[in-house]
Amino acid sequence: MTDAAVRVDRLEKQLGPNKVLRGISFEANAGEIFGLLGPNGAGKTTSLRVICTLLAPDAGSVEVLGYNTRTAPQEVRRRVGVVTAEFGVYPRLTARENIAYFAELSGVLDGDVQRKVDVVIDRLDMGSFANQRAESLSSGQKQKVAIARAIVHDPPVLMFDEPTSNLDVLASREIRQFMVESKGRGKCVIFSTHVLHDAERLCDRVTIIHQGIVVASGPTAEVRGKFHDLEDAFLSLVGAPS
Amino acid sequence: MRSVLVVFKKEMLEILRDRRTLIAIALAALATPTVLFVISQVTTKTATQTYTVGYSGDIPTGLDILFNATGLKLERVADPAAAAKQQVDIGVVFTPSGIEEYFDPTRQSAQIADVRLQTIISRYDAAKIAASLQEKGVDPSVLNPLPIQQHPLSSPVQAAGNSFLSFFLPYILITMSLTGGLSAALDTSAGERERRTLESLLLTPTPRSHVLIGKILAVSLLSLTAALAAIVSMLVALSQIQFGGRQGALEVVLSPVAAIVMVWLAVLLAGSFSSLTIALGTLARNFRQGQAYATPLYFITIFPASIVLFIPDFNPSLGYYLIPILNAVLVLRDAIVHNAVAWSSLAVTSASLVLTGAVCFYAALRLFTREALLVRS
Repeated sequence: MTDAAVRVDRLEKQLGPNKVLRGISFEANAGEIFGLLGPNGAGKTTSLRVICTLLAPDAGSVEVLGYNTRTAPQEVRRRVGVVTAEFGVYPRLTARENIAYFAELSGVLDGDVQRKVDVVIDRLDMGSFANQRAESLSSGQKQKVAIARAIVHDPPVLMFDEPTSNLDVLASREIRQFMVESKGRGKCVIFSTHVLHDAERLCDRVTIIHQGIVVASGPTAEVRGKFHDLEDAFLSLVGAPS
Repeated sequence: MRSVLVVFKKEMLEILRDRRTLIAIALAALATPTVLFVISQVTTKTATQTYTVGYSGDIPTGLDILFNATGLKLERVADPAAAAKQQVDIGVVFTPSGIEEYFDPTRQSAQIADVRLQTIISRYDAAKIAASLQEKGVDPSVLNPLPIQQHPLSSPVQAAGNSFLSFFLPYILITMSLTGGLSAALDTSAGERERRTLESLLLTPTPRSHVLIGKILAVSLLSLTAALAAIVSMLVALSQIQFGGRQGALEVVLSPVAAIVMVWLAVLLAGSFSSLTIALGTLARNFRQGQAYATPLYFITIFPASIVLFIPDFNPSLGYYLIPILNAVLVLRDAIVHNAVAWSSLAVTSASLVLTGAVCFYAALRLFTREALLVRS
């Protein structure tokens, strides 16, 4: 047994008639960017939702920093921050109020809320729009609010689910930089994407899922192997013509 | 329970910044005085309006004076029966043996003129009989061998006011408890899903029951405020507006007992309706779908509230007080009309409404903790 930050073991999950996950296993460590890769519908989002306790596993187990998602879901949620492509915010609250709300719900103590909110506002360079209502913000600014609310309680595990899919080039680059920075701070960063080019540049290790099963796993360079890039490797692994 | 307070404060902040909700509440508060003002104008106009009686033949002596005093204008016509169809409100033919009356009962003006005519003729007959008896040396009081002397124990004017209030107040309390918080309830449930904030909210370590309680408290407070604002505006309007051409406004006094019962029932109704509408909103994919789910609630609430109007003397057994909404209407009616409360009725009503609220809360919580909540979105 390693001291992995996130350990997924033979995870199975069925949603309606579809068996989305068919016994996948992987581990993600602190201080690395771990790529969870695969085409749309492979089961990446479902895997992340099980890890962060939004969905319960049908079989197998998931542990986050030693806490089982079944038996200690609230402990898991305290230690996880999730950023998705759907960065919904409360439109009638300011950016600052949005972040403070999630800080309070995440268990940040009363006296500490404003300080922690100020820290993330500084860190994400949100000072210029922190007091604007969210309804007036651009997509990139809203995505920053979504990141800020996910990290305001300083979770050791950060999960990014297709975080750049609705963003322009500049905003996407900021997200990638933020992931690298978080890795430097010793966080376990799980990056779920179908954009294999992004994953190849950022991830230390990757797991490729296809139709609910793991088809490859290991250090990025190792998975790429003899192929030109990760995309070619993936197409070869799933038996599609390159 | 700190997290309940956090959710409550956030929801209230959003509600207070939502112009649509605030405008809807303000309009609802103004709607009752506006409706009452229109009713007062119509009733005053009806009471003071002069109606036309088309007649032929010779008017008995003195009867024309009574006509004029009762707001009936006499107009000689060739054919009273034909004129009563459109030209005048009623037609009358005076013959040596009596009066032939022609009127169209489908016309409201004809109905009112007919009532006035009957009143006039009764008075005229009584006066003629009394005069004949006196001419013959007989005391006219023989026509009234058992005279009755009435001693009303409360003001008839106030009784009329209470009767009016016993219908309107429960009706407004119930409809405003439902509609006052409906928009906010759907916004805080279906709206979370529509805005894509639900997943982030459920990712926090706060127990979902706490999130739900915070939302229900905020919506309940809004419903309660809307209901009480509408009732206060109605009471103010009733104290200022004249009805039916009478002198002075309707005497409407809400006794302390009725006021306490009203607030207590408003709290229970607001809690139940908030839980129910949030549960329906949680089922919905978006705000519009939530409104479609909530529409039948209007009928469900309006029907029991109207029962007092259709059956004013409805005095049911205690078992009827188990029926939510109807029980609130009955208890409130009794408190207003009799200025007293039957404690057994109030206890059964309270238990019924608390149980209804608990069932609705449980349903909302079950929906709020289902995986389908996320998968469907």
